Amino acid sequence: MSDLLALINLSISEAASALRRGETTSVALTQAMLARIKQTEPTLHAYATAPANLALANAEQADRDLQNGRDRGPLHGIPIGVKDNCYTKGILTEVGSKVLAGFVPDYDATVVEKLYSAGAVIIGKTRCHEFSCGGSEPPTRTPWDLERFPGGSSIGSGVALAARSAFGAIGTDTGGSIRIPASINNLVGMKATYGRVSAFGVVPLAWSLDHVGPLTRTVRDNALMLGAIAGHDPRDANSARVAAPDFTAGLEAGLRGLRIGIERDYFLYRGVTDEVWTATEAVIDQLADLGAEIVEVSLPELALTSETLTTIRMVESASYHRNLIRESGHLYSPGTRATLEIGQAVLATQYVAALRARHRFRSAVQALFRRENLTALISPTIPVPAPLLSDVRKPRDDMDNGETPTDAFIHHVYPANLSGQPALSAPAAFTHDGLPIGYQLMGRPFDEATLYRIAFAYEQTHDWHKRQPPQVYD
Amino acid sequence: MPQRRRNSTQEERADRLAWLAEALGLEIGPEELAALAKQLRALEALEIDELQEYTPILKMDAGWHE
Repeated sequence: MSDLLALINLSISEAASALRRGETTSVALTQAMLARIKQTEPTLHAYATAPANLALANAEQADRDLQNGRDRGPLHGIPIGVKDNCYTKGILTEVGSKVLAGFVPDYDATVVEKLYSAGAVIIGKTRCHEFSCGGSEPPTRTPWDLERFPGGSSIGSGVALAARSAFGAIGTDTGGSIRIPASINNLVGMKATYGRVSAFGVVPLAWSLDHVGPLTRTVRDNALMLGAIAGHDPRDANSARVAAPDFTAGLEAGLRGLRIGIERDYFLYRGVTDEVWTATEAVIDQLADLGAEIVEVSLPELALTSETLTTIRMVESASYHRNLIRESGHLYSPGTRATLEIGQAVLATQYVAALRARHRFRSAVQALFRRENLTALISPTIPVPAPLLSDVRKPRDDMDNGETPTDAFIHHVYPANLSGQPALSAPAAFTHDGLPIGYQLMGRPFDEATLYRIAFAYEQTHDWHKRQPPQVYD
Repeated sequence: MPQRRRNSTQEERADRLAWLAEALGLEIGPEELAALAKQLRALEALEIDELQEYTPILKMDAGWHE
């Protein structure tokens, strides 16, 4: 198996099988990814840096280990991209900012350590918005449409997967930054339960909202990656003391007995476009056909989630950057710096009000799941398909309240960051213009396995995840 | 004692931000300013009495222990 197109379109699990059958090598997989990086980077700019020599050396070691019977599991020898806010020993880590220009960490983030332990090959560091904050404009473009918003802040992770220049990628999600690029780039993205994946060595945006997680092209791949990176880490004060199960174990268990809630007032509000609304209803119908019980539910406490998360994020990110701004304020992009400066002006009483609102929301979600015996909530991941880059911050023509596409993006994804419960985005359909549409599942804490079970069942009924963006072969 | 509150207007928020941007020497476009103004609005939206019933979450824990 040496044909480039055949290699780059393999899923992680397919590549892992091919490696063990001796049909390919880690070096061949890595060379294929490096070839894709060379082909696509001039247009897409998914990577901040891609140290080829280091990747090839790791791939050679992975091949030697396999030949010697040292099999480290499903990620062994698989090239993976890592978001540039994760510390990587000896590899440039600038987090999209001039503030950290030239910074090379002397240790690995726990998630990177775990990838290495699993035998993965770090193919490169994927681009992100400055400090994952959204106040900058990276040059990254999505191969689905170069003129449209590619997602953020794990922007390079999503694009690298769509462009077939990585088999899987690590992202972080403080307010949708795994799920939004997953939805826009036709991928599976998992924001696991808060504390499930260690954030040690990851440059924080807001510590009580930050989550580290995988982006992949299939549900099974995502479950494999989460299995490799999850687990308690004593170096992360917020790491949960909960054992990580085999997230693939129940994938084929079917949907009988599962109850999936839909909160229409909030998640299908009038800002959801017709195509996204239709696609979501089609997923719901399909899940019902597969045996799940669909339950109409009400959760009015969703109404203040955007305001609550915004307040907490402003304060926590301002706190982290306080000293850096004093020393290097002029190096921040104006948009990022303004956000951080405003955060420093938030009153303590306003922050406490947000922490009270968070308690109210989490209690309400918990009560809803218990009262209705829910397995999950379903929604569109984002209410709109990827907008034109030029329209991202402009009021939408189809709304009369000043809502911008940026406002719309956060509407459905913020709640799970606030509650800490797991949330997954997976491909739902395509628009008439050929743009991906994603759906979101929010589950019970530490029950990511059931979200994978639902998404896997749906994935078997369609081929959305197999569609390739137009720029892949151009 | 009940307190009378008045949330700021969109114009007032934009004015505060424009002043802040000028003070910091930052060049911020109108769309960016509008986005920042929404952050200020978020702060005011949480000034509601019913939240007093809830203790603030000081250390995040996703578990449902209650």
